[in-house]
Amino acid sequence: MIELRDITKTYHKNGEMEVRVLQGVSLDIQKGEFVAIMAPSGMGKTTLMNILGCLDRPTGGTYRLDGVEVEKLDDDQLSLIRNEKIGFVFQTFNLLPRASALENVELPMIYSPRSGDLSKKAMEALKAVGLGDRIHYKPSELSGGQQQRVAIARALINNPSIILADEPTGNLDTASSEEIMAIFKNLHQEDRTLILVTHEADIAQRAKRLIQMKDGKVVQDKKIG
Amino acid sequence: MKTERAIKESLRGLGRNKTRTFLMMLGIIIGIATLTIIVSAILGAKSNVMEKVGKFGFDQVAIAAGAGKLVGVPQDVPAVTLKPEDGEAILAEVKNVKGVAPSFQARSLPLKSATSNTDSTVVSSTPSWADVWDTPAVEGEFITDEDLASLARVAVIGKTVVKELFGSEDPVGKQIYIRGVPFVVKGVLQAKGISPSGLDMDGRTVIPLTTGLKRVFNKDYITQIKVKLRDPAKMAATVQDIKHLLRERHNLQAGVEDDFTITTPTQVTEVATQVSTALSLFLIVISAISLIVGGIVVGNIMLISVGERKQEIGLRRALGARKSDILTQFLFESMAVTLFGGLVGVLFGLGGGKILTLFTKLAMVVSWEPFVLAFVFSGVVGILAGISPARRAASLDPVEALRS
Repeated sequence: MIELRDITKTYHKNGEMEVRVLQGVSLDIQKGEFVAIMAPSGMGKTTLMNILGCLDRPTGGTYRLDGVEVEKLDDDQLSLIRNEKIGFVFQTFNLLPRASALENVELPMIYSPRSGDLSKKAMEALKAVGLGDRIHYKPSELSGGQQQRVAIARALINNPSIILADEPTGNLDTASSEEIMAIFKNLHQEDRTLILVTHEADIAQRAKRLIQMKDGKVVQDKKIG
Repeated sequence: MKTERAIKESLRGLGRNKTRTFLMMLGIIIGIATLTIIVSAILGAKSNVMEKVGKFGFDQVAIAAGAGKLVGVPQDVPAVTLKPEDGEAILAEVKNVKGVAPSFQARSLPLKSATSNTDSTVVSSTPSWADVWDTPAVEGEFITDEDLASLARVAVIGKTVVKELFGSEDPVGKQIYIRGVPFVVKGVLQAKGISPSGLDMDGRTVIPLTTGLKRVFNKDYITQIKVKLRDPAKMAATVQDIKHLLRERHNLQAGVEDDFTITTPTQVTEVATQVSTALSLFLIVISAISLIVGGIVVGNIMLISVGERKQEIGLRRALGARKSDILTQFLFESMAVTLFGGLVGVLFGLGGGKILTLFTKLAMVVSWEPFVLAFVFSGVVGILAGISPARRAASLDPVEALRS
């Protein structure tokens, strides 16, 4: 479902210096795969994630998502893809600090063209990640692991086919990391496509396929687990 | 995104930062409150004027003797050119005239009963006076044509005069002295209150025109003629006709100034509104300035807020918000602030107006107009103040915004 061909991304720093973050990445990811992308910090992982998540456009190359060439879509169409097909999980959780867990989970539904009972669905999603008794808590009243579970509930609320997780355990202790990885394992069993970016080897080992990147290129791509 | 959800999301956004929201509202509240007080005061002044004109009569014109005179204003040197016959001629020759009341009026004349003294405006007029002035006798009778023909010494007196001379006694049939001339009280005038120029309408005494001219004042001219029209819509034409007739009767050559002055209800309105217009213009400028300042404050705080909420904007974009969704959210936020501020401002304004009426003589009218004005003005200010921050928010690069 994901086809990347010779994807490049170049930033211009201070208008002069060219930084080539991605230097020709080609990848195929099938539906239901659990992929870990490993790279040292600052080696283009996040850029790749943003391109996969249709938040950023590549400088060169082609990206087909479900057979659609993403480069040819306009901003509104990309927004719709992000809303319906992609669930983001961030390292820093990215919850609205003053909003309750429930309101945070409702957020993607607000931008969905589909209608339905927002809070009922959000409540179910929070129950599914074991936070049914915390729906009115603010992020500051939740532990790191709980916050990340709220974020996962948010990512899943529009039933996306792809979950993109950028260092989801980067800010968590070991116990919380285990909880999150257990949830990911379940999602994989539900046949969702999971793409996990990390620099922690033991987290990456939980995936079924490991892609190693270095200097903006794929250096290794193998089945594991 | 559905409008209803967008509004709800904007309100949530505002509710999450109440201090900021309140600060943004403050200027708008002050501006709209000022505006409301002004509008209430203007409406109050207007209703005052209308009330006064209502008393003057929408279907009446007054002709005063002398050039450039206003009816109801005392005259130092009396003009002698207006005669009782002028009134008869107007009734007979001018179309659209329903009735005329020629009268000779004298102010502050000493009146005496058996037991006490007072001053009264004595009006010498004809029986039609009651109809033209809309002031019939409520006790006893009004003067009649026979009284006029026989130069009868009868008087119809106002409620204030009754109170001063007779207290709570029934005055009808009792004797009074006007300038020492004995009269019999024939009736009591219907109560009318205070006139446009601030005179006590119930302080009047009406006697037959003939009696007044020959027995009390020894004059052959009158001071004014009040004319009641059939169709008030044709007032302008009728006034012209009266003018032509009087000029002809007074043998005025072309180019010579009128020796009489015709006053219409519209003129009364104009005089009364001129003063309040000047004052309200000044206040409108003040309220406009405070609304502009309020709008600038809202705009700037919104701009700061966009800067502070970059990450939120990036997140929303990542979760599927289109540029237009972000634009709408911020625009709705700014409009919600100003509209709610406007509503609070109107309520404060109405409350403030009420308090002002306790300390000043300003008349305040509580009406729907301030609500409409507040809605329109604060809505416009909200859009103007919100559009630039909202566009900035919408045009943020989602990747950059998320990273911040």
